[in-house]
Amino acid sequence: MVVLCPAAVVDSPLVREILAGLEEEGVPVGVATTDEAGPAITLAHAAARSSALDVGVGVDTTGTVCVHHAKLPPESAAVSGTAAQARVLGHNAARLVTGIPFKPVVPLPSEGDRHGRSV
Amino acid sequence: MTLVAGVDIGNSTTEACAAEIGADGEVRYLSQALGRTSGVKGTTENVVGVLGVLRQALAAAGASPADLSLVLVNEATPVISGLAMETITETIITESTMIGHNPRTPGGIGLGVGTVVRLADLPGRAPGQPVICVIDETIDFEDAAAAINAATARGVEVTGAVVQADDATLIANRLDRPIPIVDEVTLVRKVPLGMLAAVEVAEHGRTIRTLANSYGIATVFGLDAEQTRMIAPVARALVGNRSAVVVRTPAGDITDRRIPAGRLTLLGEQASRSVDVDAGAAEIMATARRVAPLADAAGEPGTHVGGMLSRVRDGMSDLTGTPLAEIRIRDVLAVDTFVPQRVTGGLAGEFALENAVALAAMVRTSKGPMELLAEGLREALGVAVRIGGVEAEMAVLGALTTPGTGRPVAILDLGGGSTDAAVATAEGDVVSVHLAGAGDLVTKLIDAELGLDNLELAEEIKKFPLAKAESFFHLRLEDGTVRFFDTPLPADTFARVVVLTDGGPQPIPSRHGMDRIRQVRREAKRKVFVVNAVRALEQVVPGGNLRGIDFVVVLGGSALDFEIPNLIADSLAEYGVVCGTGNVRGTQGPRNAVATGLVANHARTARGGTGDPEAESCPASR
Repeated sequence: MVVLCPAAVVDSPLVREILAGLEEEGVPVGVATTDEAGPAITLAHAAARSSALDVGVGVDTTGTVCVHHAKLPPESAAVSGTAAQARVLGHNAARLVTGIPFKPVVPLPSEGDRHGRSV
Repeated sequence: MTLVAGVDIGNSTTEACAAEIGADGEVRYLSQALGRTSGVKGTTENVVGVLGVLRQALAAAGASPADLSLVLVNEATPVISGLAMETITETIITESTMIGHNPRTPGGIGLGVGTVVRLADLPGRAPGQPVICVIDETIDFEDAAAAINAATARGVEVTGAVVQADDATLIANRLDRPIPIVDEVTLVRKVPLGMLAAVEVAEHGRTIRTLANSYGIATVFGLDAEQTRMIAPVARALVGNRSAVVVRTPAGDITDRRIPAGRLTLLGEQASRSVDVDAGAAEIMATARRVAPLADAAGEPGTHVGGMLSRVRDGMSDLTGTPLAEIRIRDVLAVDTFVPQRVTGGLAGEFALENAVALAAMVRTSKGPMELLAEGLREALGVAVRIGGVEAEMAVLGALTTPGTGRPVAILDLGGGSTDAAVATAEGDVVSVHLAGAGDLVTKLIDAELGLDNLELAEEIKKFPLAKAESFFHLRLEDGTVRFFDTPLPADTFARVVVLTDGGPQPIPSRHGMDRIRQVRREAKRKVFVVNAVRALEQVVPGGNLRGIDFVVVLGGSALDFEIPNLIADSLAEYGVVCGTGNVRGTQGPRNAVATGLVANHARTARGGTGDPEAESCPASR
């Protein structure tokens, strides 16, 4: 698993939360930084292609987090979300590798009531 | 040459067929259509739906309502079903004495025993007694690990932890001394402080051996023989878990309580009998057989079953406008089932499978206002409308247009609200019966047993096969075949069992695997339709002996299901009965039997046959 982000973001609480989600699920991860200012989705796809597990997480300076897979078309990521959802996205990136259903992403107040069954 | 239409108004579906009848009585079928029944079957609300279906059928024949000479409507037998379900057992954990939700990622390995203490109180704790730490979600995992390490360094023995957030692995990875940790305990604040507790986590792929064993718990807590007997249900409930927590509370335990659901009274024409609902479906059905034929059924007031039947009666009364006092329950079908329910007193949202009984009840109300409906139709169409005859007889006539059939014949009509059967002798006499329990009950059972709380999804699971995503671009179906996709599957189908509906793969929000969901689906169909097929045929076949008939034609919407006709055919085969899905007019499959029968019957009468004594004509020009 590879997490790819700009150097400015690498020590942030956001990245810490992503790594916590991955570690709790027991999936090994490596963090890499980049000078590219691409959006999270581009970074995520690049991370996925460089990962032995075919899954990568990209973070950009706006705080968007994206989970991608090397076999998916670049424009359709598996999941993406905001900084507040970083922990769950970390879990789900790991679950993409281990093959278990995703954790529901808790809806933000502004998004209204999106149903998320916890199973 | 006259253009006529036959219309069958069912509980859920209205069907029509259009035909030309020559002067010699020869029938040429032109077209057919079906649509949702509007309103309650047998009331003027149906007119809208009938008009829609008629126009569709006529348009397909290149005609319009103005070209019609006559519309034939079935004597929509006022038979309506209701259903209800009640659990008859419940599981209760008292005094927060155990946690058995089996989280996916517990931390550490082994068994820890100690006094329950909040993490915040650790610094003030003196060394001497081993402790189990309780950690709520406001505490960051790094801080939690640091606090435990600090206490250990001081000589306070922390032997285990119970955590609210999904943090067990994170905390365990940062500890100097490994300890077992159980996480995702939602109600962690309810773990009793100051009591002795044990935390156990097994290795990957294994299950706990101490807390799932009565003598293991006895050893850990120093219990005597009597106390061990009391703790046995806790051990039993934890068998198969990879992790668990048990707290030594004074009187706490886990119990499986039988909920007194009440007595059901079945009133036959000659005698009546009562039966406890929690005796189970077999006992209820045996009691029903003893008092058959059923005249009415009532539940003990103030009990669950009393409430159930009251709700069914109220519903019927509202639907049909019949006074409550005139509602008579003429058939019941009881089915045993299991329903996942939250455990009372659970600290982590634990579920247990509880026994439940589902009851379908069939009500025969006073004769529906068919004349009003016919009048409404005549006005809307400007065409003569005739109430054409007893539904069962028309169904038989329609069934007999299936190639390869002949009298005597038995038919099974599998609908949404009722399962009907009829037998027509060589002489043309028809005996019929309508039983409670059909497609709607199957859907309800699937919904309840999978804990979906979503009848629409349950209906899809009933009708369509299951599959599971093996990659973003392919699904493996339940029969092992593979389906490929050009565009990637959506993320919410990933790693989940999906049902392949017409609208695409629909994920099923359930922990169950594909095999289990398939089993629930097939069992629900068997418990309703196979049971009812036999029950219905026994009531119409001469002497009640199924060996007395050779051929059964299966009709109705549920006969289109991909499994139900085979399940029924398999079970009828043991009586030497050949059971097959009808093929009305050689083209319509099991649909359109009654509508076709209405036309066939009219043509036969027009040819100067024996005539149809049941036909009532509407005061309109013919």
